Amino acid sequence: MPTEPAILSVRNLVVDVPSAKGTTRLLDGVSLDVYPNEVLGLVGESGSGKSITMLAVMGLLEAPVRLTSGEIWLRGRNIVDLPFNDMRAVRGREMSMIFQDPMTSLNPVLRIGGQIAEIIELHQPSLSSRQVKDRVIELLELVGIPDAARRARQYPNEFSGGMRQRAMIAMAIANDPALLIADEPTTALDVTIQAQVMEVLATARARTGATMILITHDLGLVAEAANRIAVMYGGRIVEESAIQTVFHRPRHPYTVGLLASLPRVTAQRDKLFSIPGQVPDMAQRPGGCVFHPRCGLGKDRPDCRTIVPPLRPVETSHLSACHYAEETPEWARREGAVVEQIIAPSAVSPVEATVTLSVDDLYKDFKVRRARGWGKDILRAVGGISFDIRQGETLGLVGESGCGKSTLGRVILGLHDATEGAVLLKGKNLVGMSARTLRPWRREMQVVFQDPYASLDPRMTIAEIIAEPLRINSAYHPERITELLGQVGLSVEAAGRRPAQFSGGQRQRVAIARALALRPELIVLDEAVSALDVSIQAQVINLLKQLQRDLGLAYLFISHDLSVVRHISDRVAVMYLGKIVETGTREQVFDAPCHPYTQALLSAIPNPDPNDARSRRRIILKGDLPNPLRPPSGCTFRTRCFKAQSICAVEEPQLLQRTEAGHLSACHFATPGVPEVPANTIDPAAQTVTA
Amino acid sequence: MIKNPSLTTAIALVLLTAVVLLVAVVPLLPGYDPYTQDLAGSLLYPFEMLEGKRSILGTDKLGRDVLSRLALAGQVSIVIGLCAVTISMFFGVMLGLIAGYFRGWSESLIMGLADLQLSIPRVLLLIAVTAIIGSTVVNLTLLLGLTSWVAYGRVARAMSLTLREREFVLSAITQGASPIWNIRKHMLPNVLPQMLIVGTYELGAIITLEAALSYLGLGVQPPLPSWGLMISEGQSYLELNPWLSVLPGIALFMLIAGVQFLSQAFTSEGAEDRRVSSNLAT
Repeated sequence: MPTEPAILSVRNLVVDVPSAKGTTRLLDGVSLDVYPNEVLGLVGESGSGKSITMLAVMGLLEAPVRLTSGEIWLRGRNIVDLPFNDMRAVRGREMSMIFQDPMTSLNPVLRIGGQIAEIIELHQPSLSSRQVKDRVIELLELVGIPDAARRARQYPNEFSGGMRQRAMIAMAIANDPALLIADEPTTALDVTIQAQVMEVLATARARTGATMILITHDLGLVAEAANRIAVMYGGRIVEESAIQTVFHRPRHPYTVGLLASLPRVTAQRDKLFSIPGQVPDMAQRPGGCVFHPRCGLGKDRPDCRTIVPPLRPVETSHLSACHYAEETPEWARREGAVVEQIIAPSAVSPVEATVTLSVDDLYKDFKVRRARGWGKDILRAVGGISFDIRQGETLGLVGESGCGKSTLGRVILGLHDATEGAVLLKGKNLVGMSARTLRPWRREMQVVFQDPYASLDPRMTIAEIIAEPLRINSAYHPERITELLGQVGLSVEAAGRRPAQFSGGQRQRVAIARALALRPELIVLDEAVSALDVSIQAQVINLLKQLQRDLGLAYLFISHDLSVVRHISDRVAVMYLGKIVETGTREQVFDAPCHPYTQALLSAIPNPDPNDARSRRRIILKGDLPNPLRPPSGCTFRTRCFKAQSICAVEEPQLLQRTEAGHLSACHFATPGVPEVPANTIDPAAQTVTA
Repeated sequence: MIKNPSLTTAIALVLLTAVVLLVAVVPLLPGYDPYTQDLAGSLLYPFEMLEGKRSILGTDKLGRDVLSRLALAGQVSIVIGLCAVTISMFFGVMLGLIAGYFRGWSESLIMGLADLQLSIPRVLLLIAVTAIIGSTVVNLTLLLGLTSWVAYGRVARAMSLTLREREFVLSAITQGASPIWNIRKHMLPNVLPQMLIVGTYELGAIITLEAALSYLGLGVQPPLPSWGLMISEGQSYLELNPWLSVLPGIALFMLIAGVQFLSQAFTSEGAEDRRVSSNLAT
């Protein structure tokens, strides 16, 4: 542990929220220290209290949430009882915060430059307006915004998501704060943009010498960016140590489970470890150790149920809040929860199985009204896509937001009309069918959406929701409901309740049961596990795999999360701007990617292994996604590509077999492996998104 | 439905209970007689005795018992209001859901119609139409109902635009649900609570409008009383016996205010529900 005094010391922080049914404790005695020049990763699932802790530190708790007791020492001063005006001087000057969503954190009617200037003027009133202006431009240049003088006069809607987050970082470091708090700074961004922003954050930190607290649910991000890590669960810190120690020798059963339930892009396992049960509702927090109802180690021991385990040192500068921390490594080994970097042999793709879905040269255009002038532009969301999915097979469709993967899914499902091409379901073309003739075919293809809160009608009971597809098709049978509930691991008592009484993971199980009701051949899983917490995500992924084995389902698994795609897919297709740029078996795409975009995507994923994360040379793509209304000529990826040459602007590369059999890619220079290129620089030539 | 009643709710309940007592209980009392005229006993003050006959709230210019007439007039106003609201809610919700679900030309047509309707002053329209087709209670109810659908239509359309894209509607489509199924099972139940809130606002507006038309002589026709008509009839005697106009005015105020307060209570209750559910969602 560093010998210097801590910049921030939080002592026994207790935060409550009173309600009609009694007081709910959100934080229960949180203590932590942050030392100069370090990055502390504060990790936890939703509801663990990580954001509340930092809001409390910033003095931003809003009634009825209140700080009941505890001390917050910032550079030797207790700021808990600081008067409002003194606290204002602290915020933005001594410490500042970067929020998750840059769109809501920036005022849409003020210019970017003006918003940054405001912060500077607030804390340094002695500066002349000339000096402030220069400082704004200097800051924008520091965070890698090209043409800073011009961009400073633009409004937030003229900035892309990554650019906005850069502007937020510029605001946060405007007054050289000693402490930067970044609350999920890249969660709303795509993985290649995330890599850019994390790079900017590192530069900004290096320049200002600020200490940083990085709040995130992404263990990979922490492994790459943080020195120390504090794991939160149920309003308490359960483990705290140096990054290497926690990742390789976790001493709390929750940390063990969390790390083991993470699908990894570098490894392949048959079944994910999963922590049983649900994240506890803070209003009904279990007594004793908060984790005990889900813990495999402490299961029936009386201590765990009655005594709150203190956060105690288990080895040098490694704290764990478990009564049996000494037994944890042994238990983890026994449970098979130890993370092994084993690539299991893949199930051989059933080539002889029948083709369930065949998509042939599918196009989908949208007409978009022009921003200026008359007329409409054509937005090509899906541009000539072909693939087959066989019975019992999973095709993973990967791409960043705006690549057209969800639109493709909806066209296949018949929720959008295709512009051109064919969707063949068991040999029958669905494109061009009238709504009435299509209806009987629909039951073969079902869908599970991302948001478990939007996908269930809040006014129906679970039984009614699952019964709906059966009733629509006049095939209702009460026994079928019971059977479906059993298949997705829900109890029969769930039937009478409404969606609001369930957590995200349970709701997603209901959505899966509904999709299974008509015994479909194919299920389109549109980001089906993306909104779930890691421990719950593992449960749902395991359920999906189980159902596929039992029922012989084919899955079209649409996701932006490559680790999950690697875990669940047999074959993978990577999309960029409406086209498939690379496709092949899981091993071909993940282990020997040929297309530079796939290579960049894979390299941009933060790897939850601190050793690897630090040694790896990564490709950071230049700029943002081009405006899809005016895609670049030739290869659409060439504007961000590190291999681009003059031919790429002229000739569009076709999706062809360029290396192994069954491994197709659309690049003139497709070779497996990353070439020697000086790629990891922040690109100043990022362009405006005006779409 | 309403937990932790607020002050607003309490006021609403007191006012509405008073109105209900007047309208529903008074006709059961002995001496209820809204029609019999007695010119000798006309224009009595409230509580004034005449020849041993007692009239609690006095008599009007034709010697009819004001309390009885207030009760009957209340029945007339409330029945007209509720029927008109039902009619307009039915058409408004239906048109709004169709416009929002199908989009395209049906939406342009329906929303064009709504704009057209809004561009003509309603009172003027009603005066013109009642002047032509004559004013009976049935005519009046239908007219009030058919000209007030726009509020429901607009809200229902706006809500169904977002509901239409919700995943539970999309997955019902992939299960083979027809548009009618979706509108009936998913859209309607989800817009109905908001429609009831709009309905309570509209009820007040419609009763006021009916009173206004009756005051102008184009609404309820004598001898059937209506509060608006009673205010109008009492006008000539304002100096002699102001109670003739003031009493129906008070009754009208209590009903409208009660309904509005109730509607406010529903609205904040609804907002509370939404806040709670959105909190759960985060």
